[in-house]
Amino acid sequence: MTLVRRVARIAAYRPRGLVGGAPNASLDEDTFTLAATAAERAWSGQREEPEPVDVHLVGEFPAVAEWGFSALLGRATDVVRHAGGALELATTLRALEDGPGGAALLIAAELPGSAPKRSARSAPRPAGAVAFRFEAADEPGRFELPKMAASHSAVATAFKIGQGAQELPAWVHLVGDWGPSTAADRPPQERPPPEPVDVSSGAVSEGAYVPRPRYLENLPSRWRFLAEVCEACHGTTFPARGICRRCGRKEALTQVRLPFDGGRVVAVTTVGKGGQPTEFDAQVEAQGPYDVALVELARGMRVTLQVTDAPAGTLDVGDRVNTLLRRLYPMEGEWRYGRKAVPATPRTVPDVPA
Amino acid sequence: MTHRAAIVGAGHTRFGVLEEGPRALLRSAVEAAFASVDRSAEPRDVREAFLATLGFGGHQIGNSAAALAEEAGLVGVPVTRVENACASGGFALRSAIGALAAGASPLVLVVGLEKMTDVSNARRRYWLGVSGDTEWERAAGLTFAGVYGLIASRYFAEHGDASDALVEVATKNHENGALNPNAHFQKAVSREQVRSAPRVARPLGLYDCCPVSDGAAALLLAPPDLAHRYTDTPVYVDATGAGTDFLAVQERRELTRFGATHRAAHEAFRSAGWHRSDVSFLEVHDCFTIAELLALEDLGFAAPGEAPRLTLSGATRRTGRLPVNPDGGLKAKGHPIGATGVSQVYEVFLQLRGAAGARQVPHAEHALTHNVGGAGATAAVSLFSVG
Repeated sequence: MTLVRRVARIAAYRPRGLVGGAPNASLDEDTFTLAATAAERAWSGQREEPEPVDVHLVGEFPAVAEWGFSALLGRATDVVRHAGGALELATTLRALEDGPGGAALLIAAELPGSAPKRSARSAPRPAGAVAFRFEAADEPGRFELPKMAASHSAVATAFKIGQGAQELPAWVHLVGDWGPSTAADRPPQERPPPEPVDVSSGAVSEGAYVPRPRYLENLPSRWRFLAEVCEACHGTTFPARGICRRCGRKEALTQVRLPFDGGRVVAVTTVGKGGQPTEFDAQVEAQGPYDVALVELARGMRVTLQVTDAPAGTLDVGDRVNTLLRRLYPMEGEWRYGRKAVPATPRTVPDVPA
Repeated sequence: MTHRAAIVGAGHTRFGVLEEGPRALLRSAVEAAFASVDRSAEPRDVREAFLATLGFGGHQIGNSAAALAEEAGLVGVPVTRVENACASGGFALRSAIGALAAGASPLVLVVGLEKMTDVSNARRRYWLGVSGDTEWERAAGLTFAGVYGLIASRYFAEHGDASDALVEVATKNHENGALNPNAHFQKAVSREQVRSAPRVARPLGLYDCCPVSDGAAALLLAPPDLAHRYTDTPVYVDATGAGTDFLAVQERRELTRFGATHRAAHEAFRSAGWHRSDVSFLEVHDCFTIAELLALEDLGFAAPGEAPRLTLSGATRRTGRLPVNPDGGLKAKGHPIGATGVSQVYEVFLQLRGAAGARQVPHAEHALTHNVGGAGATAAVSLFSVG
């Protein structure tokens, strides 16, 4: 019998940032970070076998998407890009359902306001991302898709699927930001014109200089919170560095991932105007002061994270936070990405089933 | 380090926003150091020299030791640059004592320098963060104000709100700075001014932060048995201690205790055989007001969480029982990075010889300097006496 695949989980992410006092995508988001968050939610709970996964993208994505999903999921991925739009989503979904087995992710993401303005008559386009996780199955399975036209947004259509436009088969699980329509569904508020950050001018760095090879080398710890447990002394080292911080052994280190969510704030400060490193100037100009927290992810394992999606001064020592992949700052012609903290209020806790 | 050394001369430029470039500052500090020697000393007596500087702004970032040789009239003499961020001066002193112990005689020169105000605003803020952890702390949007803001928030969480003590540190050090003709700020500030200043990194405000300053300071050191060739009242370095810690605060078990300072203080006190009660006054590294509280605890003059009470009692004022930073500290005197650790020793040189004028600490016989690099990643502590 040929192995087939079907959708096992659909994960949604809706921006919940605050820009200009209204819920909206934060300025540190782009379609890659939207898709990354949806992908993490779709992937969580996945058996950790080291199998490759195909990633199909519907929409417009920055160049980092070509290699970023491998780093994000911690396994080799082949990325296939598809044009944006509801029909492309439907076609790709059907093609994956009908194709040969193997794990795959189909992700649609859109961030209105980051693309040229569409005509006033076109339907509101929500900012967000939806990821469909395909798993190998014994029997093929299809589910009904809502009516759609070429002009429809892929993300709006995907949200309709999860919000019950059609009945979903029992084998499909929903995770993430579904539920009733929120302010985020309305057309985005006028975003303050994002400072045109010229990421291509990188000849002389006035920022924290992290050469690209070092940035890439650290991604497993920066994006996936990868730590190493020493089998000899049971000490945990984070960030992972190939040597046990406690006993100095370089052999028998087991890689573990520290939790993305539920970290505890050990210390927090609000960086006011003038207190920021220069690489955050454009951000402070557009959004004002920001919080930075020292977060304990697991016992004794701490990481310094900028806080996003919340007004400065929101967090206190002892609060819980979740983490998301976001843009950090531009350096030498590209955005650098890393995890940021968001307050773990009920509205931002992803409802991942046990 | 137990090897003793004698300071026979010390010089200091003004600290602040200065016209002079780095070479002029080096020259002034060195000339002042030679001029301060009671009996004459000549550049030809100097067998080795150390330059403490970060190289702020990137100007002559490499091989700046040769520039010191030129300006000090020492071309040909070995000179080494010592760079441990804000603790460069304290570590340069330690290197100088090592050189004396290895036979450099009769004189070793130590100069600390930083020229910070002649670079663009953007470049300045870049350089203000280069000595912290780049890959994690900086990438999260922190400079040192932010790192010390985290530390202060943790201190408040563990020991209660210490805002009043931070205000006291600022007003006290400004009061002392008002009596120091070399200080960047020579004006007292009111408690209200400190409290209402804009926040730079919550809970720290503008008056909790030291300024960005230009300046240089220089010391002439001799082996104790040759000191009297130059002066009848040398000031002795009785012991030095130093330590390191994880560069990134996130790697440390504790935020409110600097392991590097602990280790440095332990080494220095053990080497000298002193008790804490022997010390007449302290020169501590108050780059931010919270750092002065941490210093009092890490150096062993207050139990954990007790520094605010000690500070609010008035004990650390110039006329108190344990004066701290009679020269105004980094807070008011200014903080030209590489110069700071050397400048602290200059103050000790004046105070222990009874030559500090209006800011003289009564009965100053034993002194301690405490110099920290970054947010505690490096630290040097030295103990001094007269006679």
